[in-house]
Amino acid sequence: MVRIGARFAMVTQGNPGRGSAEPSRHFLSRFLLSTDHKTIGLQYLFLALFSVFLGMGLSFLMRVYLTPGPGHTGFFSASANASDHYAALMLLHGSLMVFFVLTAAPQFGLGYYFLPLQIGAREMAFPSLSALSVWMTFASLLGISVSFFLKTSSGMSLWACSAACFSVAALISALNFCVTCIDLRTQGMTLPRLPITVWSWLITAVLSLLIFSILLAACVLLLSDRFIGTRFFAVPFAAVSALPLLWQRWFWFFAQAEVYVAILPCFGIVSHLLSVFSRKPIWAERFSVLSLCAVGLSGFCIWGFHMFSSGLNPYAPFDFSMLASSLGIPAAFLIASWFGTLWNAKPQLTTAMLFSLGFLSFFLSGAATGLFLSWRGAAPSAITDELVTGHFHLVLGIAATFAILAGLFFWFPKMFGRKLNETLGKFHFWLTFVGAYCIFIPMHWVGLLESSGVSSFPGTATIARAERNLHSFVAFAAAATIAAQLIFLANFLWSLFRGEKLATKNPWRAATLEWFVASPPPNGNFGNFTPVVYRGAYFFGVPFAGADFLPQQLAPELIVSRAS
Amino acid sequence: MPPASILDDIELIIDDIGGGGGPRPPAGGDGGDDDDSDRGRDRSWGKPSPRRYATAIALAMISILMFFMAMVAAFIVLRASSNKWVTFRVPWILWLNTALLLSSSFTLEIARKKLAASDNRGFRQLWFLTTGLGLFFVVGQLTAWRSLVGQGVYASSTLASGFFYVFTAAHGLHLLGGICALFYVGFRNFDKGNVTRALAAEVTSYYWHFMDGLWVFLLLLLYFGR
Repeated sequence: MVRIGARFAMVTQGNPGRGSAEPSRHFLSRFLLSTDHKTIGLQYLFLALFSVFLGMGLSFLMRVYLTPGPGHTGFFSASANASDHYAALMLLHGSLMVFFVLTAAPQFGLGYYFLPLQIGAREMAFPSLSALSVWMTFASLLGISVSFFLKTSSGMSLWACSAACFSVAALISALNFCVTCIDLRTQGMTLPRLPITVWSWLITAVLSLLIFSILLAACVLLLSDRFIGTRFFAVPFAAVSALPLLWQRWFWFFAQAEVYVAILPCFGIVSHLLSVFSRKPIWAERFSVLSLCAVGLSGFCIWGFHMFSSGLNPYAPFDFSMLASSLGIPAAFLIASWFGTLWNAKPQLTTAMLFSLGFLSFFLSGAATGLFLSWRGAAPSAITDELVTGHFHLVLGIAATFAILAGLFFWFPKMFGRKLNETLGKFHFWLTFVGAYCIFIPMHWVGLLESSGVSSFPGTATIARAERNLHSFVAFAAAATIAAQLIFLANFLWSLFRGEKLATKNPWRAATLEWFVASPPPNGNFGNFTPVVYRGAYFFGVPFAGADFLPQQLAPELIVSRAS
Repeated sequence: MPPASILDDIELIIDDIGGGGGPRPPAGGDGGDDDDSDRGRDRSWGKPSPRRYATAIALAMISILMFFMAMVAAFIVLRASSNKWVTFRVPWILWLNTALLLSSSFTLEIARKKLAASDNRGFRQLWFLTTGLGLFFVVGQLTAWRSLVGQGVYASSTLASGFFYVFTAAHGLHLLGGICALFYVGFRNFDKGNVTRALAAEVTSYYWHFMDGLWVFLLLLLYFGR
């Protein structure tokens, strides 16, 4: 009976349903003015792709600047104020990467595309707000890029305006995500049955809702200083020492939590992928979700530990140090859960899985160096720029990028109906994996050399030469790694048009809802009928008539009818 | 049977039960399970639950509160660390404005009662009275600015006056959003669409009362923080 029904479904599948109105043919209205969550997600992903390449180019320029020797004579010495240029480069690199790549890609790009699909909704709660958010983000990207080329003063004003614009866009998106998760889940999609990706997007949205208002408030006061003549950050009215502190406190309140906004969706994606490719349920799934919540909560509270060297109340560093270390408990649990999922599994080493494992590797190495940074005794002397930069890039920048790439390799077939090339993908993975370690581990060594005060010892010349060599090595490794990203770009563009077409809807045999609609999903996602969910998202290793997983929306009585 | 065809089978079953963009299947395979009887139900597409507006406004209020509290924190920090906190006289018209805004909250609630009693005429009158009171409040705030400028107190004069202008401007902009919502609820035709006027009025009222309370808080902060 089921079999007959199934064949019938296949034959009549071509008919467009009532809901799936034919999309407008015109490119402008189809892509640029669309409010469809899938189009918005793609717009965010393309924006992130553009920003990541721009940001990488800038980081290479910075390495050239930091490398002693011939590099200095090129780009920087042309202008008189090279250090100003360097600061502007660093600001632009940081804002591009943090706002438009690490925040935009995993949360807004993949989130806008897959959150409604995974909870069985047809659209975001407020489609026009999605479009507003993406266009404000584009405006902000434009503003931040242009601000680099302006004079310092007007450039700063434009930067603050753009940051405010991005905050509003992020707030709108966060609101949209929260409401979609709360009110638009399909029948049977109870909270415990949500895929862990959806959980991470929801927690991140709640966190963004709180912290981007703080960045917005800071930007509003800064802009009112610049445009209506208030002097919140100016000298005459307040004690001089308080001024930068106010901005720093606000900034770190925002920025520390922003780190978790960037990394939490990556946690979700990696947990999801490890489970799918290990063909095993997430180890202790419910506690993993609770750990995600705990990471979000403590991420909101530990801002003060960036301020150890700035004259806080003497008891405050202890509190913040405790809080920062207590973040280790949920983080350790998440790591345990990832290894628990991998334990005894026979993982399928697809490119997406390799990138997830790469995330694990970078996150662990970065976390190990982070332990030293949360120790407040270490704060004044040992923490140099290079050490912090190395730590931060391992644990956040590279790890999150690997998670984003993993998600991209995983979901690319669903988004475009074609697979990314696996061979090129694996080649790209190994080059990037080795390259990133070659950049950031020597950076730690440089940091340790600088902090150890060896420059006053005899044999200084040898040490200085070693440091110089390390700097050059890092610059060459950066160049090679950035060049390796061109492989990914080529793979992406080639696969978009010429990639291997999907034979089935569900190439990875995942159990979540999005894998049972066409690729790419039609308008309205699910045709005329909303799916009904019967179980959690990670029923792997459940033998069912030869397959090893149970889709979320497969009704129990159908299982019985197949089995008998 | 090779696993690949089993997978195809699962996909087709999913199609069959209506989760995969397929059409409604022929009747059959229905176990008559009690709570599954409406699976594949035809939820009117593109029209999710209208409760989402109430959820959205509640979350937006949390976010707006965070925005204002960040500025209040700056106020308190600078107030405490400043060695020259020069204050100024709060214009008397602010107290009148506050009274107007508070009374608008009352008229809004009475209007909603009228709407619940399906007295549309009474609702309309009181609703537009509320809107008018809100507009008067905004005009009153502008008057307060004028009187301060007349006294020579500018945004750049002192820290306190800077905060006064920024707080009132930020609150006023948020309140203008509320006034737009009041106009929208007053004028929109709610006959079609899945949102009722009662729900729209309820959501607007949350925001309006919130703006009301926020203003009272800011005013007391500015008054006692002199």
